[in-house]
Amino acid sequence: MKPLPAFLVGLAAATAACASAATFAVVLQRRAAARSHEQPAYAPPPEFAAIPPARRLAEGRRLFLNSCAHCHGEDGRGDDGPDLHALWVSDRRIATVIHGGIKGEMPSFAKKHRDVEIAELIAYLRTLD
Amino acid sequence: MSPEVWAQLHGATTHFPIALALSAVACDAAALCLWQRPLAERLHFAGKLALAAAALACLPVIVSGLLMTRGGLWGAGALRSHHAFAWPAFALVIVLATWRALVGAAISRRAFALYLAALGGLAALLAAAGYWGGELLQRFP
Repeated sequence: MKPLPAFLVGLAAATAACASAATFAVVLQRRAAARSHEQPAYAPPPEFAAIPPARRLAEGRRLFLNSCAHCHGEDGRGDDGPDLHALWVSDRRIATVIHGGIKGEMPSFAKKHRDVEIAELIAYLRTLD
Repeated sequence: MSPEVWAQLHGATTHFPIALALSAVACDAAALCLWQRPLAERLHFAGKLALAAAALACLPVIVSGLLMTRGGLWGAGALRSHHAFAWPAFALVIVLATWRALVGAAISRRAFALYLAALGGLAALLAAAGYWGGELLQRFP
């Protein structure tokens, strides 16, 4: 085969390989989100119920700006960390990530934030649509 | 399996395509230098084989990487920098390995030099992707 047609075949093969990888990635993302919703529902700590909704969000926003905005951006649109708008995963998964971090990607905030603060953060994150 | 297992597999498998691609660069560069000599033919074959093996070795790397990040194609921060080099390297290794497999031995020295330059580009992309992969481990061990 001549060099140029062979190059075009190579380009087609690379496009097919990248498209397959992207499809696989989307399947994995959707499966991870679906699995996070199969887990038992997230139960915020009892004191969270006593906090008025407006205060939860204000406090969640304050905590977000202190702990999360550094990596996720002040608007939550992502910077060093990913965009946090319209998260597919469940509240339990969000709480687990804030609490335990993600190896290789995000530190744990278990020592920095109490459970009620994590619940306030989740309440605020759910307003980012 | 947990993401940690996939992370370990990603770290273990990622070195194979890098080593094989660099071997292909070394063999093909030597073949270009020794163009008319008998040894060049063997070096051509070794380079072709190493590149094909590098392309195949990318598959477990891609699969383990995607499983580890739960389908994260791009990410953010150092992960985004890692992917900015890793995905073009993946595409380029497929293009070059396919091209090399199809054209066979009947290519001009000029075409081969161009191919070798692209192979050098691939080595640079792999090195940069590896650097950012190492940065990820350093930042969040």
